[in-house]
Amino acid sequence: MKPIRIMAASGMLGYGFTEEAFLNGLNLGLDLIACDAGSADPGPYYLGSGSAFVSRLAVKRDLGLMVAGGFESKIPVFIGSAGGSGSDAQVDWTLGILKEICTEKNINPNVIVLRSELNKEDLKIKIRAGRTAPLGPIDPLTEEHAEETHRVVAMMGAEPFQEAINAGADVVIAGRSSDAAIYAALPLSLGCDPGLAWHMGKIIECGAQVIEPREGQDCVIGTLFDDCFTIEPGHPDRRCTRTRVAAHTLYENPSPYKLKEPSGTLNTKSAVFEQLDERVVRVSGSKWEPSDRYTVKLEGVKQLGYRTIFIAGIRDPILVATIEDFIKSCRQRVSKDVTAIGISENSYTLDIKVYGHNAVMGENEVQAPGNSHELGILVDVIASDEDTSKAVCAKVRYSLLHTDFPGRMCISGNLAIPFSPSDLSAGEVYEFNIWHIMECDGPMEPVRIEVFDTNTIN
Amino acid sequence: MTKLRDLAKVIRSKNAGALFLTLDIMFENEDAYRKVSESGAITPRTIAPLYKVSDNEVEVIPFDVALAIKITIPRRIIAGSPGDTDVYGAQQHAPLMEITIPTET
Repeated sequence: MKPIRIMAASGMLGYGFTEEAFLNGLNLGLDLIACDAGSADPGPYYLGSGSAFVSRLAVKRDLGLMVAGGFESKIPVFIGSAGGSGSDAQVDWTLGILKEICTEKNINPNVIVLRSELNKEDLKIKIRAGRTAPLGPIDPLTEEHAEETHRVVAMMGAEPFQEAINAGADVVIAGRSSDAAIYAALPLSLGCDPGLAWHMGKIIECGAQVIEPREGQDCVIGTLFDDCFTIEPGHPDRRCTRTRVAAHTLYENPSPYKLKEPSGTLNTKSAVFEQLDERVVRVSGSKWEPSDRYTVKLEGVKQLGYRTIFIAGIRDPILVATIEDFIKSCRQRVSKDVTAIGISENSYTLDIKVYGHNAVMGENEVQAPGNSHELGILVDVIASDEDTSKAVCAKVRYSLLHTDFPGRMCISGNLAIPFSPSDLSAGEVYEFNIWHIMECDGPMEPVRIEVFDTNTIN
Repeated sequence: MTKLRDLAKVIRSKNAGALFLTLDIMFENEDAYRKVSESGAITPRTIAPLYKVSDNEVEVIPFDVALAIKITIPRRIIAGSPGDTDVYGAQQHAPLMEITIPTET
């Protein structure tokens, strides 16, 4: 079979790549240009709010080069997990940018859209049928979970991308997708070994993670042969090393040997990694274990309320030495002050983190306290409405600033407050309440496929 | 007696999804990797108390091909939920650095 060459433009759409690497890749002759645009790492807010964690300008630059380069050379372009979490709102945001690019460059690619946001009623049917299961230490789903969910997406596999290829797509903009599926779909359509196709997808989806020297994100090229695949950097002056490629199989996975996908599991136990030349690594031996059930991962969030935060520093050595007792007495005072203005104790949560003490590790901190000459205080108030959240935060600030402590000398104020205004509204707060798998009748069940006309006016 | 930080090249932590934390210890040479993986110092029993989880919640997976040891534990708080201190889970590795590796006598 003719080798299949695929370029991952970047580890994340909007994190960038060099034009030199991109053009070098194009010149090698490619079968696909693709990029993952999503991650759940930045936390539940982005799925909740339907907003991106990268800037519009950065996405437009990366997507513009990919779409124009692909269109000119007749190479399809795939984007997975559009907008960060792959919700419908984020797919629409990406389509808006794509439309602008097409107008400016005067091109009209055939755009196929794959959406995988679920509605609550469909989810409830699955829950009732017992076709969902937790993906770790989280409660099994009930219909109440579905009802309180603000937004939920299903992580699609390779098959929807294959449908898009069959529909003649020049550009695919997909909602939440398995990172590796974006890259595995085309080789699987062409009949490649699934173990190699999935493993190659898994390695290139993070872009320049496997490249040395590490100088930000950049293009990576995977080439699939009958019995192996190779990984090389797009940039002529960079290189892929065996250690980095092998180590990448560890990255962000609970196990390096078993990588779960909707249609089966990639087993890398017998994978062999070889340095082919200074720039290129060859991988062989990865195995695919097909599953008899098709399962997609679900990611969902519920809204908890609104957050207000307050940041300050403490330099007074007497207060630094007694910080734990001080915070305790402030909390007691706040509880009284807040009740006095008619806010019930169960309508808000208050978290006070002390940086320089144990704010990062919490109860797992191994270092004994007492080595810091100054401390950072972060007050985090979440309440069901914004006014309550602001009111509680203001009471906490006042209490921290003016409460007495034993031996206090700094009686005009306990805090160095860096800003005015001191209290910052951080908007809505969400929490992942769905992190489960869902059994499907087929790969397209949770996916809606649409054609997008880049010439429509809206 | 040597500390893990003196033998490893990489000691890192990161989310493996919103419910798990995964910690990777990577070595530059086979010697250091063998010394640590055969020392018995990195086991569910030694790791569990560092992260206040029980032994059976800790997975320790040696990965010879990358000269690496992977440790996966459940997160105490789901990533980004109220009270979480580290949404990406990227700064939870420090307790590993101080683990003592017995050297042969």
